[in-house]
Amino acid sequence: MMNVSRRASLLLVGLIAVVLASILVFLYLKSNSEQTTTYTESRDLIRQIKQQDSLWENEILKARVAISHNYDPLVSPMNEMNRLWQRFDSMEADHGRNDPGKWEDAHGGFLKAMEEKTRLVERFKSHNALLRNSLAFLPTAEDDIQVQLASLSDLDKLQMQNIATDTYDLLLSALEFAQVTSADKAADIEVGLSKLAVNAQRLPADFQTPIKIVSNHIGLILREQPIVNELLEQIEAIPSAERLDNITNLLDLDQQQAEKVNRQYHFYLLVFSVLLMLSLLWLAISLIRSFAEINRINSALQTANEVLEQRVEERTQELKNAQSELLDSARQAGMAEIATNVLHNVGNVLNSVNISSDLIARKLRASKTQGLGKAMQMINEHPDDLGHFLTQDDKGKLLPGYLNQLVGAIAAEQQEMVDELNQMNKSVDHIKDIVATQQSYAGANSLAEPLYISQMLEDALRMNAGALTRHHVTVVKEYGDVPQVMGDKHRLLLILINLISNAKYAMSDLNNRPRTITLGARVVDDNFLEISVKDDGEGIAPENMTRIFAHGFTTRKEGHGFGLHSCALAAIEMNGHLTAHSDGPGLGALFTLQIPLIKVTEDA
Amino acid sequence: MKAARYALTLLLCGLAADAAAAPLDEPLKPLPDVPKQDSARVKLGRQLFNDPRLSTNNTLSCASCHQLDKGGADTRAFSQGFDGQPLPVNTPSVFNARLNFRQFWDGRVETLEEQSDKVITSPHEMGSSWDTVVQRLSDDPGYRQGFGAAYPDAVTKANIQNALASYERTLATPDSRFDQYLKGNTEILTLDEKYGYQRFKDYGCIACHQGVNIGGNMFQKFGVFGDYIADRGNPTEADQGRFNVTGDEADRAVFKVPSLRNVALTAPYFHDGSAPTLERAVDVMFKYQLGRMPSDEDKALIIQFLKTLSGHWEDTP
Repeated sequence: MMNVSRRASLLLVGLIAVVLASILVFLYLKSNSEQTTTYTESRDLIRQIKQQDSLWENEILKARVAISHNYDPLVSPMNEMNRLWQRFDSMEADHGRNDPGKWEDAHGGFLKAMEEKTRLVERFKSHNALLRNSLAFLPTAEDDIQVQLASLSDLDKLQMQNIATDTYDLLLSALEFAQVTSADKAADIEVGLSKLAVNAQRLPADFQTPIKIVSNHIGLILREQPIVNELLEQIEAIPSAERLDNITNLLDLDQQQAEKVNRQYHFYLLVFSVLLMLSLLWLAISLIRSFAEINRINSALQTANEVLEQRVEERTQELKNAQSELLDSARQAGMAEIATNVLHNVGNVLNSVNISSDLIARKLRASKTQGLGKAMQMINEHPDDLGHFLTQDDKGKLLPGYLNQLVGAIAAEQQEMVDELNQMNKSVDHIKDIVATQQSYAGANSLAEPLYISQMLEDALRMNAGALTRHHVTVVKEYGDVPQVMGDKHRLLLILINLISNAKYAMSDLNNRPRTITLGARVVDDNFLEISVKDDGEGIAPENMTRIFAHGFTTRKEGHGFGLHSCALAAIEMNGHLTAHSDGPGLGALFTLQIPLIKVTEDA
Repeated sequence: MKAARYALTLLLCGLAADAAAAPLDEPLKPLPDVPKQDSARVKLGRQLFNDPRLSTNNTLSCASCHQLDKGGADTRAFSQGFDGQPLPVNTPSVFNARLNFRQFWDGRVETLEEQSDKVITSPHEMGSSWDTVVQRLSDDPGYRQGFGAAYPDAVTKANIQNALASYERTLATPDSRFDQYLKGNTEILTLDEKYGYQRFKDYGCIACHQGVNIGGNMFQKFGVFGDYIADRGNPTEADQGRFNVTGDEADRAVFKVPSLRNVALTAPYFHDGSAPTLERAVDVMFKYQLGRMPSDEDKALIIQFLKTLSGHWEDTP
């Protein structure tokens, strides 16, 4: 539970750190100085446009005061401004502005101002060109007239003087008008022009054309000068610079806002950086703590592991001990079983010994030897007249015949007793045999010795003989041709007694048919010796098949569960194996022992 | 200040002796060099300039009217449109057109790109449409390949306009004798021609015909002293000039002042082609624009000067 919450909080802090990092990146991108770059460039462009605008106005003034006769400088600032504006416009087009309405107004205002200014400048160029031309020509035109006047000799000097003065005045008025354009001057010129027209009528015909030319040009000045002045005023009134300043102001405003936002972003950046730092610090600390914890748990685990190992070892030792104790008790139990068998067999034989001794005792009690005593008593009563007695006396006369009969009877009696004793001797020998057999097996170690398997089987049968007889078990022997082999008598007998005993038990509930054990022995592949014990008893259930050799497994109420287990162990100890087979419950069982075949070397 | 500058110029001239002399400070300026153009685009533009597929019935190319061997225009008062009908105004020269502050007599467009658009889609001139032109050129594998190589995208209206304009920007006529004079080679002009230039300035021609293109940098009313169009008769819509563009009464009969470069080669003259000779054109200018009567000698000098304005053009593919 503790772990889960810690992991969850670590995950949470990690998540927070990631979120903070993303926010930082976002803020960084947002606070990027792109706008500032655009701003600087835009401002620079506007400044350049403004510069060109001033240059333009400067050139207009130069054209106005006729310093310059070339109108190219009046065209190039316009083109340059257009070029700069296009750059500015395309740059600003990718860049949203805070107040699009104002921005549009400022844009439109400037473009409109520019359009108007261009129109006025074009008109100014046209009119100014004409005006300058006429003004420049005026002195020459006047000269032409004066020279022509001077060459006239047939005219009244005073009148000629007046005409010359009038013409001169008119020229002066026109030039003055060019400098100070006023209604008065215009009226002066009008007066001068009508005077000139009147004068012209007094002059010869060849004066008409130059005077007409001068009049035309002065008329043009009179007409064009106010236009040019007005155009200049209008041009001056065009608020192109103000419009540009407007744009600059908007740019400044935007930049100020952007800077404000930037400052905010920077502040947020700072705050979030600190938060990120803190969370990272926290993460680091928890990681270090976790690491320490892991180390601690690791070492604890290691210690626990060692203890566990020790305990497992101890327990294993205990188990081993228990196992060997069990094995010992099994062996002892086996030995007890063997002893029981032996005693049983011995008991059986003792029975016949008992009968024989009873018989002998009875024979001795009813022995004819007592008749010999009576005969001897009668003899002894007649020590003096023995002869007489033997010959004369009625009783005595019968004595020799009696004695003869007695001799025959005693001889028969002795023969019977000898026979009976012989019988008893045999029985005693049998007991000796049984005991000797038991002694030869009990406590014997693993020792290979030459033996015949058939003999081993017979011994095993004999040891079980009583029980087999009691349970009316028929033994069928199917011994193959098995040579004398080297084998562990004790282990083999242990296995065989167990198997036969099991077979016998397996058939104890069998009442409807004869009980038969089939013993088999044969050589397999010249390598193995195979001994089989087959019964037709209760069989083995398939589910038990795998565990019948397991330690502690038994189906009998009084069983220990180590008979077959120890048999299997013994088989393995002999480098062989013990297998079981059954077609199912009630279908009997077949146990097969296979051990390596070690033949006894011939004539060894 | 000005005196000091002249003194300096003189001093410099003296120092430079017979070496290449310093440029003269005059209201007229020598022809500037052609700005660097993309050669692939110029090549395409040259092909397009001579391609009659730009006109609706495949009869007219740009070069049909702007004949480069005839001063960049043709010899008619009014060139014929794709339908054989005469156009409303005289064809101006294509040479040095990039130096004009506006294009067309009425200055209705500012750039050469826009100029080609107006001509191609004009119902009198080429009578075509961009869809048709782009389609026709796209069907030509040569153009497809050429445009593919010269432009990031394929055959488009903008690219065709740009190619044509790129070529037209190369159509300059440098090294006129007067340009050489302006650049400091004062020996190249005869005395009369120099007098002619002097008269040109004195009479005030220079008031309108000045700058690098000797004109082409301002508008002016045609008929300052007297109404030329009324005197000529049969006024047409085209005679209204810039009024047709702005609708401003002040712009009536106002036209772009044409360049005088190659003027000797581009007869007939004026927007209506009404002056068949240079002499006639100069006469009209004196009478209606300057309001003066020059002597025959001065007029002849001026015409001599105007003939020094013819430059050289070589078709260098």
